[in-house]
Amino acid sequence: MAQLTDLARALVDLEKDRVNAIVEDRLKRETSPLEIVKELNDGMIEIGERFTSCEYFISELMYSSHIMKEIMGRLEPLLGQTDLSESGNIVVIGTVKGDIHDIGKNIVVTLLKNAGFRVIDMGIDVPADQFAEKLKETGAKVLGLSCLLNIAFQEMKNVVDTLRRTGIRDRVKVIVGGQPTDEKVREYVGADYYALDAVAGVKICKKIYSP
Amino acid sequence: MPDEIQQLFEERLARYQAIIALEPTDRMIVGGTGSNYFAEVYAGYTRQEMMYDISKWMAAESKFAEDFPEVDLLRSGRIWAPIFDSVGFRLYRLPGNDLPKNTDFQFVEGEWMKADEYDLLINNPVEFLIEHRLPRVLGELKERGSARSYMAFLKGGMAYMLMAQVMRERVLNLEKKHGLPQPFQGVMLAPFDTLADGYRGLQGIMIDLFERPDKVLEACDALIPDSVSCAIATANPLKQYPIFMPLHRGTHPFLSPKQFDTFYWPSLFKAIMLLIEAGYTVRAYLEGDWTPNWHHWNEFPRGKIICDIDNKADISRAKSEIGNNVCLAGGIPDRMFILGTPEEIRSRVKELCETAGRDGGLILNGGCGIPYSTKPENFRAYVNATLEYGKYSDTIKPKLKKAPPPSVGKIPSRRVITPWEIKLREFGGVMGDETLIKEAWETFEQRAFCWLRFWDW
Repeated sequence: MAQLTDLARALVDLEKDRVNAIVEDRLKRETSPLEIVKELNDGMIEIGERFTSCEYFISELMYSSHIMKEIMGRLEPLLGQTDLSESGNIVVIGTVKGDIHDIGKNIVVTLLKNAGFRVIDMGIDVPADQFAEKLKETGAKVLGLSCLLNIAFQEMKNVVDTLRRTGIRDRVKVIVGGQPTDEKVREYVGADYYALDAVAGVKICKKIYSP
Repeated sequence: MPDEIQQLFEERLARYQAIIALEPTDRMIVGGTGSNYFAEVYAGYTRQEMMYDISKWMAAESKFAEDFPEVDLLRSGRIWAPIFDSVGFRLYRLPGNDLPKNTDFQFVEGEWMKADEYDLLINNPVEFLIEHRLPRVLGELKERGSARSYMAFLKGGMAYMLMAQVMRERVLNLEKKHGLPQPFQGVMLAPFDTLADGYRGLQGIMIDLFERPDKVLEACDALIPDSVSCAIATANPLKQYPIFMPLHRGTHPFLSPKQFDTFYWPSLFKAIMLLIEAGYTVRAYLEGDWTPNWHHWNEFPRGKIICDIDNKADISRAKSEIGNNVCLAGGIPDRMFILGTPEEIRSRVKELCETAGRDGGLILNGGCGIPYSTKPENFRAYVNATLEYGKYSDTIKPKLKKAPPPSVGKIPSRRVITPWEIKLREFGGVMGDETLIKEAWETFEQRAFCWLRFWDW
């Protein structure tokens, strides 16, 4: 992380007050808000790396997101019309219908964003046809299906069947993950990949987009 | 109870107690899960019917017990939904209410305690609960001081007592009619989980770990005595069954090992030790993956605890790392019950009986439960294979354990809102036997306090 700026490093070290102070200082010196956001993103990428290598845990990941969210509240009004989310490879993700748990999914979303993906988070309890519509609308190549409850296996299968029925199965790679899933569940569901954990999920997305 | 049912009950309970104590038994327990979700739906009722209609629940339990008479333990009921509706509890979504009638009830994440309320929680938990937290989690209290809010306290209290009665009936139904003991009775959360589940929520606690770590620690310690005394209040008075502990945020990788050692473990350890010293055993669900943290279970006296190992962790590794000190449950992936075949189940049971379960101290189970969508033929295969491969001895017959003597001074005293001394002063003394009046007063006070904590999660 030698190339990180002091701002990015303060974020990686989870020093909220320092991050705030540096941002205020940068703004005083008329650094462009977009430039500041880029530095912070470098920090978030490093945090994702640390999570991947087990130096950081969900606690650090969530706290860094909290710092980032607060800072973005300060920076967003200054960014004007700049849309930060319109770039990057798209991943559609959600917790399947019947399951309202989202902690695991949210971690994957954070890591994907940190890694530069454009993430369309459909939330929880998402019906199969909404996944299909969103995939059609965005042209995303990856669909991540999450669950905590084992009652969701059938619904995951239903999502994959719906993609087939609506004619988009061939152009979408489906990843399943969540506490009760494993390779056999992937097979049953008819998905392309099973992600053991959030880090594995991000690796699979990278592999799909950069074969 | 006919003699043979009584005898069956005692044999089963003695076997369960021996397994927890890591003592020799004649065979493995069959169906020794804490949470038999499959049993709840096996009779064909909807989840809504099971959670709302007591007679259907009891009929379903009886049907399961009759069709699988080999099963050694069966938990009677989990959630009786009307109690939650009586106060508009906002932490659950319930089947048939705000979920489709055949979906399981689910927990709603949220921030139900503010970051600046730690001192109040620590110093005056009654005020914290009544004035701050309960109005947030009990929807019926939203208009403070209204007739509806008073009714909510009344209805919630009545439902609480009725639920205790219903649960007792169910336990007796299983015991007297089917000779089935309970896998546990009474429940306690880890102090950290109390904060992280239903108080601050996951998002809140993760911020607090960095921004107010001392308050988190102080609150975890402050929660111990009431958590322990309320757990004991609902536990089996004869101490026959373990106290249930579903452990949520101790799973890897929520916390770093250092955070786990600092924030999660010390208060949980103290609370469990108080229960053990008071003569109880504990059944803890290590939900998720506890591999980097489970070595701590070796710190307890041997043979007092069952740890349920979830799908993501390896039962063989658990056996080698903590299995000499605590009994384990698990080993069959949920997925195998749902999607597998009887042959797969049979071969997994055989493998576990020959390896991790070879010397006892193992209860074959799914990941903290037998799943709802278990295929009946897979459950049958699991029962048959456990009986076939899980035999240890033809001569050993475990004996029922007597309740350990009460450990005076070890159990935290139960909290009251208005102590008897104050009430006595208000009475200006009493003319007859003070004890008779005092005992009833304190019983209601103590139960009322546990009612306030009932809504923790």
